[in-house]
Amino acid sequence: MAFHSLQHRIVVVFVGLLLLVMTLVLLLVRHSDERIVAAEMERGLDAGSVVFTRLVEHNSAALESAAALLAADFGFREAIATLDRPTMRSVLRNHGLRIGAEVMMVMEPAGPVIAETQRRGDPHRFPFPDLFDKARAEGSSVGYQFMNDGRLYHMVLVPVLAPKLIAWVAMGFPVDDRWAATLSQMTGLTVSVIRREAGQTMVLASSLEEEQRVALAAALAAMPDGKVLTFNRERYQTRLLPLGSTAVVALQRSLDAAEAPFRSMQIALLVMALAGIAVFAAGSVLFARHIASPVNQLTAAARRIAAGDYDEPLPTLAPDEIGALARSFEHMRDGIATRERKILKLAYEDALTGLPNRTWFLETFATLPPDAPAAIAVLDIDRFALINNALGHPVGDRLLAEVGARLARVVTAPALVARLWGDEFAFLLRDADQATARAFAETLLAALHAPISLDDQRVDVEGSLGIALFPADGRDATTLLRRAELAMSRAKCTHAGYAFAAEVNGEPPHEQLSLIGEMRAALAGQEFVIHYQPKLHLPSGRIVGVEALLRWQHPQRGLVAPANFIPFAEQTGFIREITPWLLERVAEQTALWHGRGLSLVASVNLSAHDLLNPQLPEHMRLLLGAHALPPDSLCLEITESALMEDPDLALHHLSQLAALGLKLSIDDYGAGQASLAYLKLLPVHEIKIDRSFISCVTVSPKDAAIVQSTIQLGHALGLSVVAEGTEHAADLAWLRQRGCDIAQGYGIARPMPAQDLPAWLGKYTPDIPAANPPRLLRT
Amino acid sequence: MSARAVVTAILLGACLQATAGTLVAHVVGKDGMPVEDAAVVLEPLAGGAGVRPVKAEIAQQDREYMPYLTIVPRGTVVEFPNRDPFKHHVYSFSPAKVFEIKLYAGKAAQPVVFDQTGEVALGCNVHDWMEAYVLVVNSNHYAKSGTDGHAMIGAVPPGRYSLRLWHPRQRAEAPAQDIEIGADTRALQLVLDVAPRVARPKPPPDAEDY
Repeated sequence: MAFHSLQHRIVVVFVGLLLLVMTLVLLLVRHSDERIVAAEMERGLDAGSVVFTRLVEHNSAALESAAALLAADFGFREAIATLDRPTMRSVLRNHGLRIGAEVMMVMEPAGPVIAETQRRGDPHRFPFPDLFDKARAEGSSVGYQFMNDGRLYHMVLVPVLAPKLIAWVAMGFPVDDRWAATLSQMTGLTVSVIRREAGQTMVLASSLEEEQRVALAAALAAMPDGKVLTFNRERYQTRLLPLGSTAVVALQRSLDAAEAPFRSMQIALLVMALAGIAVFAAGSVLFARHIASPVNQLTAAARRIAAGDYDEPLPTLAPDEIGALARSFEHMRDGIATRERKILKLAYEDALTGLPNRTWFLETFATLPPDAPAAIAVLDIDRFALINNALGHPVGDRLLAEVGARLARVVTAPALVARLWGDEFAFLLRDADQATARAFAETLLAALHAPISLDDQRVDVEGSLGIALFPADGRDATTLLRRAELAMSRAKCTHAGYAFAAEVNGEPPHEQLSLIGEMRAALAGQEFVIHYQPKLHLPSGRIVGVEALLRWQHPQRGLVAPANFIPFAEQTGFIREITPWLLERVAEQTALWHGRGLSLVASVNLSAHDLLNPQLPEHMRLLLGAHALPPDSLCLEITESALMEDPDLALHHLSQLAALGLKLSIDDYGAGQASLAYLKLLPVHEIKIDRSFISCVTVSPKDAAIVQSTIQLGHALGLSVVAEGTEHAADLAWLRQRGCDIAQGYGIARPMPAQDLPAWLGKYTPDIPAANPPRLLRT
Repeated sequence: MSARAVVTAILLGACLQATAGTLVAHVVGKDGMPVEDAAVVLEPLAGGAGVRPVKAEIAQQDREYMPYLTIVPRGTVVEFPNRDPFKHHVYSFSPAKVFEIKLYAGKAAQPVVFDQTGEVALGCNVHDWMEAYVLVVNSNHYAKSGTDGHAMIGAVPPGRYSLRLWHPRQRAEAPAQDIEIGADTRALQLVLDVAPRVARPKPPPDAEDY
């Protein structure tokens, strides 16, 4: 069993140690008691044995004296000498009574009995020949003898001298219970006389009770030489001494009786030990609780802190070590609380506006109940790039901060406003349906309507709002945000102020990530194909060029749009392998067309990566040479954003390319942030207005204005102007009317494989406007 | 004087009585050592002449009987003078003569007549260690061996005798043997198994008594 609690451990260790010590003490006491008892038993038995032996000797001497006294009696001697038997018997009885002898006899010197107290009758010999022989040899003899009554007697045999030996007198004292009791009293031991004969053990006399004798006989029969005999549930230390030749005396002392006082002392000690342990256990519990309780309080406080609850201060504890720990904890709590506030601010707040950031927004969204409706709105400041360009970044930042403050005033809890990035803000509306969201959008746009003053400069701010509804438009924040952004783009296009995601088409599946790994295989497996989109020269109505567009004919996914893999090719550097391949194919195809008399200018898109590659100019030179192409039959299109990555290096490379005679074009013009001052320096031949402007040119007067001014600007700089994404005849007409040079888009032709182009060109009816005569192209 | 010299002297003396014989007995124990206080008695086989009583005395002196052995012819009267300053109590339970005399210090006592042959053991009822023996014989020819074991019977009329050897502590009685006594001196070596005399405990004399 493991003790995980400090309190338990303290109690267990303390009580366990005490228990161990007490157990050892008790064992020691018990051991030494046993040794003391054993030594005392031995000592008592030794002393008792000595006393017993001395007493028996003394008894013999006394008996002998008594017999000698009788033998010296003149009357007795006279009776013997005169063979006066009645007198002899009378004297014997009288004397026996006097000294307590039971057996008395008078024998002739040779042995035959003359008189005795036991019986009268025929003369017979003295029954103990060994005793008799001994008396004849030594003058007298003493011994223990069995009579034919089965009893043991202490016999003494002395001569009767007158003064010659005239007779022997024998006296016998019974060895009986009285004898044993007397000796027991004097020795302090139990005295038992044992007879062992023919395998039988009998107790002849004893100081023990009757039932104990039977038990003793049985115990002795079982253990003839046992030092410790157990009978009647009591243990006796035993010493066996011979008594005469046929009997044995067992001197015994009760071990249990000797141990009794030690037992009671041990019990008292045990009781004291147990009481001590109980008191100690109670004390340890209190002490452990005293220690553990503040620790537990600290643990609870630490858990609260770990859970992020910094509000409750730590308990004030006694001014000991744990109290000091509690105070340190308190400082730590303060520190952590302060730092966490800072970290949360950094992590969840937008530094510029003080609004929640994207992370906060996403996390708040994640806390929404899954079944409650909600709305996500994305706001983008219209033409913020232009404002930024015109007034500079510091002003742009201040504008964003001002907008943020204004939004914060409009949006009240539980609705949330966050700045996502740049000039894009997001809103989270709880329990919002389409109507609520619409009302919110209108309120918000109205609030933005009021002009903002920055350094006494009035700035008109307008925004476009896209709204996605949860769960109708998506279940996750990313989807909802993207769809809201798409709706926002639509709103921006249409200048509607706001748009709902449901009104905009669903997005293409984004499978980009999984495509990356497959691109290399695609290049080797010739899954990349090049489609060519014709470019219409508006004034002449003729097809003057094509834009080479990379397509990926994926075996499973079908045709993959460039936007879904080119950015990743650029990020991974794989573009370095694609671009040379693309250039090679296009150059080859262009040369083929030239050979057939189709003098088309082929445009190829270069990435920023390609543009900044120092080998590009040399590569282009070799390419032109290899295919014997006139340099102006190839046009390299570079996006504004590609130029802006390293404007100086880009300018350097473009100059080299221009020197080769290649045509250069700025793609997606208007979407990027290139300044006019920089554009002016570039050795380019054309600009392509971004499709976002063209698509709305007939519905949005503002876009129309931008496109018209851009055409005029391009022409003013001597550049050819290309409009991308022309889809409708109306657009085409409008562009032609405004003097745009070249148009490109579904309105003219979709991109097509190279082999389809000659046929398409053959069928194409030159779209020559009747009103306007064709303009001369500068190229 | 050596034992041999004594024997020579006795033999020379006997040669002077030409009409009587002399018996010189040398009594030894089984171990060959001389035995003291052995009685050597010659009793005539052929209906001897009348025995003549003699005078004898057994004194009590220094809490002892003196002498230890007395040989007397039948009919002899023995005196028991008490030379100690205290009382003695002479007794005999011997069948040959049972008697007791309480002897008071310095007081003359009645003599005892030993008129029956046999051995008489004398004790003192007051002093257990005191013992004396009287051998009553039917003859006037007897002698008691001295410390050297020699006993000489002189002036023995020649003739046939029964030679009897006796000792108070003899272990077994020696059989009597016939012997011819001539006018000369006859020397005999006699062997008797005798128990050694065991000195019985005797307390030291009481100073007040003297």
